Amino acid sequence: MPQQIKRLISAFAIVILLFLVMQQVLKPSSFGVSGHYRFLAIQENKLKELQYAGSESCIKCHEDIHIEKSDGYHAQLKCEVCHGPALRHVMYADKFENEELPDSLKLNKPDERKDCAVCHRINAARIKITFDTIDNSMIKQVDPMKHNLVHKKTKVELKCIECHYPHQP
Amino acid sequence: MENHLQDLHEVLSKVQGYVYPNEIELNWSILIVLYPYITGLVAGAFILASLERIFKLHILKPTYGLALLTALSFMLVATMPLVSHLGKPLRAYEIMVTPHLSSAMAIFGFVYLWYLMVVLLLEIWFDYRRDMVIWANETKGIKRFLYKALSLWTTDISPKAVALDKKLGYIVTVIGVPSAFLLHGYVGFIFGSIKANPWWSTVLMPVIFLFSAIVSGIALVMLIYILLSKIRKQKIDMACLDLIARYLFYILLIDFVLEGLDQIHRIYEAEESFEVLHMLVFGKLFYTMFILQGLLGTIVPLLTLGTFQFVQPKEKIRKAVYLVTSALILIGVFFMRWNVVIGGQLFSKSFYGYTSFKIGMIGTEGYLMAAVWIIVPFIILSFLLWLLPPWKKKDEDADIQEV
Ligand code: HEC
Ligand code: HEC
Ligand code: HEC
Ligand code: HEC
Repeated sequence: MPQQIKRLISAFAIVILLFLVMQQVLKPSSFGVSGHYRFLAIQENKLKELQYAGSESCIKCHEDIHIEKSDGYHAQLKCEVCHGPALRHVMYADKFENEELPDSLKLNKPDERKDCAVCHRINAARIKITFDTIDNSMIKQVDPMKHNLVHKKTKVELKCIECHYPHQP
Repeated sequence: MENHLQDLHEVLSKVQGYVYPNEIELNWSILIVLYPYITGLVAGAFILASLERIFKLHILKPTYGLALLTALSFMLVATMPLVSHLGKPLRAYEIMVTPHLSSAMAIFGFVYLWYLMVVLLLEIWFDYRRDMVIWANETKGIKRFLYKALSLWTTDISPKAVALDKKLGYIVTVIGVPSAFLLHGYVGFIFGSIKANPWWSTVLMPVIFLFSAIVSGIALVMLIYILLSKIRKQKIDMACLDLIARYLFYILLIDFVLEGLDQIHRIYEAEESFEVLHMLVFGKLFYTMFILQGLLGTIVPLLTLGTFQFVQPKEKIRKAVYLVTSALILIGVFFMRWNVVIGGQLFSKSFYGYTSFKIGMIGTEGYLMAAVWIIVPFIILSFLLWLLPPWKKKDEDADIQEV
C-alpha cells in the first residue's frame, strides 16, 4: 500500500478512536437515561425558584374579592395576570394581617389607564370581521385616549378604575 | 417581580396586532443569520475551486489554492455562531459528543464532519502533500515540524506517489461537488422544511440557498484575490478575474431568477398568509430586502457584470468595479440570509400581527459577537496563507501527467 494511504488511514483511525474515547469521557453521566437528553436537566430545572401561586391560593385570604370577581366580566382573568407573580406574597403575607406589607411582598396594583389598555386598547387583530358585521366581542375595545378621558365637569383626567371596579368591571 | 405589569407593557409595546406569547422575542438572531451565510461562503468558494479542477479551467489556476484555503478557514468557524448562540460555553462540547440521527438540526454535525474531514481537508492535503514534504526540508524549527506533522510524516515524493496524490485529489473533488451542494442544500432544507412558517416553507429554499451560496463564495474569493494581490504587490491575472466575473454573472442571474420564481409563486398562490407577508416585505423588511438585497446586492452587480460581457472597459476600471461589485454581492447575500432568518420570525403565525427586532451592540447575540465570527476566518486565512502559500507551490505540472 502506498505510504500516504497508510498514513491517512491511521490518521483517520486515530481521530475516530479519539472521538470515541472523548465521547465516553465527556458525555454527561445522566445522558440517555430516559431518551436523548441529559436526564438531570429536569432536576436542575425543578430547582429553579417558583414565582406564581395560582388564583386558587388567593381565596384563603381574599375570599371577598374572589367572590366579587367570579360573577363579573373579569371572571376568567387570573389574579396574577394583573397583580404579577405572587408566590412569596402567598407564603408570607399572613404574618402582616392589618399592617403595611413590606415592599418585598407588595404586589402590583395596575391602576393606570395604560394598564387596562394592555388588553382593551383598539387592536385590529382582535376584531372579527364577518361579511356584514364587525364583531369586537372577543374582547371589548376602547380608545384609551378618548374613552371618558376627563371628568365631564371638573376636566381632570380620570383613571379607568374610577368608573370600572377592576374586579367586577 | 414588582415590575411585572410594566414589563408586560414594555413587551407588548414591541408588538403590533396579535401575536402568540412565544413569538414576541426573536429566538434566532444575528448569529443564526451568520450560520447559513458562513456555510454558504464555504460551499461557494469550494465550488469555484472545483470548477478549475473538474472542468480543467486552467485560467482559474491563480485562485484555486486560495479558494480552497478560504473555504477551509470559513469552514473551521462555521459551527461557532451556532455554538455561541446556545450561550453555554462551558458545556458546548456536549452537543458534539451526543450525535443524533433523526433530528434535522443535529444532522448538521454529520454533514459538517463529512465535508470538513472527507472533502476539504483531504483535497487540500493531497494538493499540498508534495509541497509540504519539500518545504519541510527547506525550513527549520517549528515551521519544519508543522510541515512534517501536517504531511503526516510522509516522505515519498516520487513521480508515482505524486501522481497518486493527483488522482485521489481528483476523486475527492468529484465527491466534493455534490457534497458542497449537500452542505448548503441542507442549510436551506432546515428552513424550507418548516411547514408552519409560510415565509420559509418552500421546496425551492435549498436550491435558492445553494445558488446564493455559490454567488457569495465566488464573490468572496474574488474580493480576497484582488485585495491579496494589492497587499502582495502582485499583478492581478485579469484573464482569471474576468472569467470568475463571468461565472459570477451567470450564477447571480440564475439565483435572481430562482428567487423571483419563488416570489411569483408566492404571489400567484396568494395563500392566507399572503397578506401578512406582503405587509412584512413592504414594511419591516423594505430596506433589507429591496434596497440592500435587491438593488445593491443583485440588480447593480447584474447590470455592471452584465455590461462587462459586452463592453470591456480598461483594466483599471474593471478591477475597481470587480472590487466594489464583489463587496456589494457579499452584503446582498448577507441580507438575503437576514431577510429569511429574521423575516421569518417577525410575523405571527396567527397571521394577525408582528413583533419587532432590535439588536444590541454587546452581549452574546450582539453585533460585536457577530463581527468576531466574521473576522476570525480572515485571521485563520492569513495564517494558512503564511503556512501554505499557494503561490509558492513548486508546480511541476509539466512533467506530471494529470489524470
Ligand atoms: C396568607 C394570606 C394571603 C394570601 C394567600 C394572599 N394574600 Fe394578598 N394580602 C394578604 C395580606 C395580609 C395583605 C395586606 C393587608 C391587606 O391589604 O389586606 C394582602 C394584600 C394584597 C394586595 C394589596 C397589596 C398592596 O400593596 O396594597 C393584593 C393586590 C393582594 N394581596 C393580592 C393577592 C393575590 C393576587 C393573591 C393570590 C395569588 C393573594 N393576595 C394571596 C394576605 C394574603
Ligand atoms: C383586571 C386586573 C385585575 C385582576 C384580574 C385582579 N385584580 Fe385585584 N386589583 C386590581 C387593581 C387595578 C387594583 C387596585 C384598585 C384600587 O387601587 O382601587 C386591585 C386591588 C386589589 C387588592 C387590594 C385591595 C384593594 O381593594 O385595594 C387586592 C387584595 C386584590 N386586588 C386581590 C385580587 C385577587 C385575589 C384577585 C383574583 C381573584 C384579583 N385581585 C384580580 C386589578 C385586578
Ligand atoms: C389581561 C387582560 C385584561 C386586563 C389587564 C383588563 N381587562 Fe377588562 N376584560 C378582559 C377580558 C378578557 C374581559 C371579558 C371579555 C368577555 O368575557 O366578554 C374584560 C371585560 C371588561 C369589561 C366589560 C366589557 C363588556 O363586555 O361590557 C370592562 C368594562 C373592562 N374589562 C374594564 C377593564 C378595566 C377598567 C381594566 C383596568 C383595570 C381592565 N379591564 C383590565 C381582559 C382584561
Ligand atoms: C367616566 C367613567 C369612565 C371611565 C373613566 C372609563 N369608563 Fe369605560 N365605560 C364607562 C361607561 C359608562 C361605559 C358603558 C357605556 C359605553 O359603552 O360607553 C363604559 C364601557 C366600557 C367598556 C365596554 C365597551 C363596550 O364596547 O361595551 C370597556 C371595555 C371600557 N369601558 C373600558 C374602559 C377603560 C380601559 C378605561 C380606562 C382607559 C375606561 N373604560 C374608563 C365609563 C367609564
